[in-house]
Amino acid sequence: MGATTVLTVRGLRKRYRGRGGVQANDGIDLEVAAGQVVGLLGHNGAGKTTLVNHVVGLVRPDAGTIHLDGVDAVAQPAEARRRTCIQAQANVPITGLTPRRAIELVGRIRGAERTAVRARTDELLDALDLRPWADTPAEKVSGGIARLTAFAMTVVTPGRLVVLDEPTNDVDPVRRRLLWGQIRALADEGRAVLLVTHNVREAERVVDRLAVLDRGRVLADDTPAGLTAHLQGTLTVEADLSPGAVEAGWRWHPAVREVSGARGREVGTVGAADAAEVVGWAQGEVAAHRLERYALTPASLEDVYVDLVGHEHAPQGETAGVAA
Amino acid sequence: MSTVQQTLLLTQWQFRRQATMLPLLVVVQVFLAIATILGFGLVIGDPPPEQALYLATGAPTITLVMVGLVMTPQMLSQSRTEGSLDWMRTLPVPRGSFLVSDLLVWTLIALPGMVLGIVTGVLRFDVDLSPAPWLVPAALLVSLTAAAVGYGMASLLKPTLAMLMTQVLVFVILLFTPVSFPADRMPGWLQTAHEWFPFEPMAQLIRSGLAHDTFSMPGRSLVVLLAWCAASVAGATWALRRRA
Repeated sequence: MGATTVLTVRGLRKRYRGRGGVQANDGIDLEVAAGQVVGLLGHNGAGKTTLVNHVVGLVRPDAGTIHLDGVDAVAQPAEARRRTCIQAQANVPITGLTPRRAIELVGRIRGAERTAVRARTDELLDALDLRPWADTPAEKVSGGIARLTAFAMTVVTPGRLVVLDEPTNDVDPVRRRLLWGQIRALADEGRAVLLVTHNVREAERVVDRLAVLDRGRVLADDTPAGLTAHLQGTLTVEADLSPGAVEAGWRWHPAVREVSGARGREVGTVGAADAAEVVGWAQGEVAAHRLERYALTPASLEDVYVDLVGHEHAPQGETAGVAA
Repeated sequence: MSTVQQTLLLTQWQFRRQATMLPLLVVVQVFLAIATILGFGLVIGDPPPEQALYLATGAPTITLVMVGLVMTPQMLSQSRTEGSLDWMRTLPVPRGSFLVSDLLVWTLIALPGMVLGIVTGVLRFDVDLSPAPWLVPAALLVSLTAAAVGYGMASLLKPTLAMLMTQVLVFVILLFTPVSFPADRMPGWLQTAHEWFPFEPMAQLIRSGLAHDTFSMPGRSLVVLLAWCAASVAGATWALRRRA
């Protein structure tokens, strides 16, 4: 890798007492280097938020070490906070303020000079196309604009480590692209970005590395290509069944391995060698009105993720709503 | 960036967050302060001059204590429930600054009510005040102690429980603490208890600050008050620093 490591987590453990004794982190090892966007994937309760709260000293670990930009974050939480900025999963309420005012105030509370904060705020308002809303009272802006404001509040005076928890929730597709551009830019400036999400499909396109967290452990940690390597030569088949097809005893082509099925939407995998035959078969199924549509795509990270953490924790798709 | 500057910026943040509610909050504070005076006046009838002075000089303490023990914990519980406190705590700000900035905001909000309460008392009961030069620092000490106790309460208790506690406190402080009436009207055991609670010393300090020709501040009360202040500020700061 060669790049400077900004965040190093080793053997991090935390059990919450009182709440039925949840083992939130169970021996986590993780590294985030300068210039990297590292995705942290996991379902609700996988231990993502606890991990992040450890880094900024809101949670004290039972065991393990956290080093952040040369500082022992467990022993010196105030120093760790100076080097980290966090966008929380829930929007920070800013009623009474306007997006511009909120961004500028946080920038200055984080210690930057007034003129520098103004310039950076303007830059972010333009980059995220927020200018039309910049001076609108917060109680009148939509959820997506509030989400982008929270992002700008986080990165107006960015630390060495930037932690973003579901930054794209509620954001419209056009501004979503602008947002990903800004996230990439933070890494290109030499910051370490930790992207907490369960939106696997979106994360795939921006991250340099992905760590999959489940029940407080890291199940996998690799580049997106590395994680999907064993699935190369495999394609995902999706099929929307016609009404009544399930009752009529519809079955996949024998070459397809069934992965999941719900409400008439079936998903399976097929080897590349058999793909042409399956397409021919599916075309026939459509002609016979047993299928409404079908699609073949390269095996995705989502498949890997579902394989790793099991079907009961299937991640939310691109239309993911607000997470608890 | 100095700690003072950071604290003031944080205060600005908290103050602006309340901006939409601000006029209403001030009006409610003013209303409460005046209602305390006029309401007690109704309960008691036309009080003799000494009792009237008690009422008029007790009302500002009621206002300060209400703000500290009721409004501050409600604000803190709200920010805990809506999740903004956890995010604020990720900012590189000294933990004590959160306490100081909240305190500043609420003292500013309480100020008009306190002043108008005093004016109402003077007009309604026709009393003469003799303010001491240390009235302002004394009011700040009372305000700080009340807010720190409220802060500690809201930090340590569950938000819903803290909200409930504030409701109980309003009732207890209005009726069962020797703020608007002399302590000797209460049963002996309650008088003894109040020797160790901070409310009577708070009332004594404000009272002697407003009419220091008539009332004096016992040294013991000052010690009790300072002890409460130190302990509650330490407790609130500890609560803010605490890691789960």
